[in-house]
Amino acid sequence: MKAAPIFEAGNHRWWILYDQDEHRVIDSNVYVMESNGQSIILDPGGFEVFPQVFAALVEVVPPNSLKAAFVSHQDPDIASSLPLWHACNEQIQWHIPKLWDGFIRHYGALEAPLQDIPDEGGDMLIGGRRLEFIPAHYLHSSGNFHLYDPEAKVLFSGDVGAALLPPGHGAWVDRRDKSGRAFEEHITKAKYFHERWMPSNAAKKDWINRVCKLEIDYLCPQHGAIYSGDNVQRFFEWFDGLNVGTAINE
Amino acid sequence: MDIQQIMQVVDASFAARQSIEKSLREIDRRALNAMVLVKRHGNALAGYGVVAQAFRERAASLKESASHLQGTIAPLIQARMRILQHQRVAASFSTMAQSMARLGLDCAPLKNSQAQSQKFIAQEETEARGILLRLIATVDTLQEGIEEQEYVVTNGRIEAALAEDTGAPLVRVSRDMGEAVRTVSNAIRTYRHQLESLEHESSTYI
Repeated sequence: MKAAPIFEAGNHRWWILYDQDEHRVIDSNVYVMESNGQSIILDPGGFEVFPQVFAALVEVVPPNSLKAAFVSHQDPDIASSLPLWHACNEQIQWHIPKLWDGFIRHYGALEAPLQDIPDEGGDMLIGGRRLEFIPAHYLHSSGNFHLYDPEAKVLFSGDVGAALLPPGHGAWVDRRDKSGRAFEEHITKAKYFHERWMPSNAAKKDWINRVCKLEIDYLCPQHGAIYSGDNVQRFFEWFDGLNVGTAINE
Repeated sequence: MDIQQIMQVVDASFAARQSIEKSLREIDRRALNAMVLVKRHGNALAGYGVVAQAFRERAASLKESASHLQGTIAPLIQARMRILQHQRVAASFSTMAQSMARLGLDCAPLKNSQAQSQKFIAQEETEARGILLRLIATVDTLQEGIEEQEYVVTNGRIEAALAEDTGAPLVRVSRDMGEAVRTVSNAIRTYRHQLESLEHESSTYI
């Protein structure tokens, strides 16, 4: 697994850990934000990929800087590593959707400090910087949040924007291409994921209306590659026009 | 082995790597400054020029040795975290076996899984120890490089004293070189002690 920087301004940094080496489980991105020597890990990943995620994390931040973890929803590729992280660092505060509290505890580490995020969202401080929990219910999970950093203009968008890419993939949807061709090519790998995993057109519209008002330089999905610059708006337009929940619609 | 002890070594690895990289950049900068100074003064500092050249070459060699450090740390961390994974699984098997025993039940496949799990942990412990020994060897190579660099710095001080009448600030340059080398030397020595204590702990487990 590799680590690459997304954003850096003084002591405020974002990284992506991506392209996992284990291919029998779905390839997932993990994100890390560091502020003033404190860090948070976002969707820290599954039990099976924990050793490689941990080794990649140590490339970018010291593990004792880890103060918090954000869990967008209950899926195993997101949070089944919780008991292992807890074994390594009992001080990590876990911010999880309230709806899934009793479910996530099934992964183990019953004594881990879980902070429930209410349905309406909220915010948290890490290293003196405020991060916002943006409700994204039914995209795809019924209790689901994204995380927004207004200073770095980073939106961690969970499964929204996800693409199923082959091993060896890059961290970014090609940033040098201004024509939109790279986006068009990339989005073909995101189409089925959104059609099939996203259940609700109403939820999609509601999310787009709210998120479009935010200033976003980097849209960071949990699978695939990061959208930046013009590709962020291209993604919103594409998603807006996509029919989702196709297992029922068909 | 205690996970907290492993975490301390992981944190120490991060700190040591950062400190070594920063110090090596500093050494390279000092060496370049010395070379520029020598060029500016021409033949009058020819002796110091040899020292500055050697200092720069050693700095490049140290950078090369340090670049292997990260390549060895990452597999060690992965191996230790795989052990943690399997200890977790083994603990679940153990809880299940105890619950069944209380009910007077005996489950052969469960015992087999427990044995497999323990075998895997033992294999990973052996592998982790091998990686740790390689890491210590890499640190030893770095330490040897630093000792050579310290020797070059000592020669630089002698040459600086001999060339004092040229007016070039060689004593200060040599002192800066010495400080940069001492910083990286201390970082490596501390790190090696931490690795040694981990090695001592891991040898008692095998």
